[in-house]
Amino acid sequence: MDKILLKKALPQWVKKLQTYRIYAPAKDEDIWTYEAVNTPEDIDLEFLITALSPKKIIFPQREVYFEFNKDDNDNPDIKETIPEDEPTIVFGVRPCDAKALTLTDLVFGGDFEDVYYWKRRNQTILVGLACNTPPSTNCFCLSVEGSPHSKEGLDILLTDLGDKYYVESLTKNGVKLLNLAKNLFTPPKAGDKKDLQKIHAESEKKIKKQIKNLKKVPPKLKGMWDSSFWDEEAMSCLRCGICTYMCPTCHCFDINDEVHSHTPLTGKRIRTWDTCQFPDFTMHSSGHNPRPDKASRLRQRIMHKFQYFVERYQNYQCTGCGRCITNCPVGIDIIEVLDKVRDYGP
Amino acid sequence: MDHNTYIPKLAKIIEIKEEVSGARAIKTFRTQFLEDNGFSHRSGQCAMLSVFGKGEAMISISSSPLEKDYLQFSILKMGRVTSALHETQVGDIIGIRGPYGNSFPIDKWKGKNLIFIGGGIGLAPLWSVLNTALGKKQDFGNLSLFYGARTSKDVVFKQELEELKNKMTVHLSIDVEEPDWKEYVGFVPLNILDKKPSPKNSITITCGPPIMIKFVIQNLQALGFKDEQIYTTVENKMKCGIGKCGRCNIGMHYVCKDGPVYSWAELKNLPQEY
Repeated sequence: MDKILLKKALPQWVKKLQTYRIYAPAKDEDIWTYEAVNTPEDIDLEFLITALSPKKIIFPQREVYFEFNKDDNDNPDIKETIPEDEPTIVFGVRPCDAKALTLTDLVFGGDFEDVYYWKRRNQTILVGLACNTPPSTNCFCLSVEGSPHSKEGLDILLTDLGDKYYVESLTKNGVKLLNLAKNLFTPPKAGDKKDLQKIHAESEKKIKKQIKNLKKVPPKLKGMWDSSFWDEEAMSCLRCGICTYMCPTCHCFDINDEVHSHTPLTGKRIRTWDTCQFPDFTMHSSGHNPRPDKASRLRQRIMHKFQYFVERYQNYQCTGCGRCITNCPVGIDIIEVLDKVRDYGP
Repeated sequence: MDHNTYIPKLAKIIEIKEEVSGARAIKTFRTQFLEDNGFSHRSGQCAMLSVFGKGEAMISISSSPLEKDYLQFSILKMGRVTSALHETQVGDIIGIRGPYGNSFPIDKWKGKNLIFIGGGIGLAPLWSVLNTALGKKQDFGNLSLFYGARTSKDVVFKQELEELKNKMTVHLSIDVEEPDWKEYVGFVPLNILDKKPSPKNSITITCGPPIMIKFVIQNLQALGFKDEQIYTTVENKMKCGIGKCGRCNIGMHYVCKDGPVYSWAELKNLPQEY
């Protein structure tokens, strides 16, 4: 269902959605982040790429699995802490970040469904915004089977047509949100549709960064496990892990107990984001570490995204958002690494 | 709400046996769930054990699925959680979730000779499949065990091994000579070369330290065993147990979910990252 919404009517629409918890991009000093919206007038969709993707809303950096409580002679009491019912809307989701959630869906689904992830995922509606101009100089979505106007994973896609949005509702949930403020939406005119197509076509041309022939990378990686290539590429790595913490598709996590008191014993079992770039990630308690150096950890990051994930889930585990490039303190550029992999050897 | 695998089930420790003391202490724990929960495992699978306030550790289940009264774990004191487990007393409550991972394809081995090869605490994962095979002895050919430890004091399941000698061939070894030791002295891989088990209609199952496994496989190959006849288990650091937390992978395989049991024919084609 396609509609037109005047930009100035956006706050009125949002007001009709207030039974939901609403997130939207907000500027905090120099960075954009997704924050809860209190006043609809505050929603600003003229934003650049957010520091973190909306992954943090579905898969928060810290999740409590359960609380435990044990008095001296009693059995431990375990209280499962499933996220509360809280229907949620995220406004201003970039197409690359929506696609990233379709990839984390593959990980948290399957034969062991992760109830914490799915509780949040299933109650969250994603309202996307097409990227008329690349929100980051490091965008390369076209190279990883994405596009600046991709609808994948979204419930609604908005495209900025100047003083109005072209609104494409893509799912039942999307239609539901439009129906909550029917009078604000008008049918598109023939000219609107034309403008939309023109803007979408132009937006693709504005993306400057690309990886040519990425298809050649996964089979190439298969033969590069023992290569000294990784030592050279990882030489400048500081092991800070920001490439993975900022990544919308990275899903690795740790599980630990947090103790609040010892007698009686009370505490929580928590999941927190973790990263393959830290030595502890794979170190056995004996001290043995199958990935003992930064070369093996960079190799893991690249191979996970462009070989193992492809083999397991038939998708690249990358949506071309460019955050790992922008944020790397020493300028390790995944595009350059993949270019070199593609051209490596005979 | 769907089944939440992260929530451990409470279990009582009903028996603790000290196998090895000292710096590399090993204890065997028998546990019973407080409530029947349908937990049912296959030989080779692991379970995530919880000590509340300390965390979780993935431990292989050393009792056979044929044993219905308890779950058994033999645990080397090593990190935070295994050290806490060593502090527990009979009657204490721990958490157990699982079982996780694949298992030994014992149904495929019917009619074959089974040669179990263990080193150190590596006897624990073998113990489950060995006892399953013993419980269905008529289904298999000859059963035999090679087991080695650093010293006679490091031998686990001492009494059980003595009893086992009445039921199958047992080749014990220690690494360095001791006055009262009457059996083989030398590393497990060398004991294999010494006894020369026949590859004919045989399957070998080996668990132990990575360096032992490496040389056991080399020596089995020298004796004519094919890659498909050699099975082993892989161990990596694990947190979730269900292929999501991302740390135990070797290539595209998550050891917690797709492993820990591999034939050498499968394992040799994966990155040797364990």
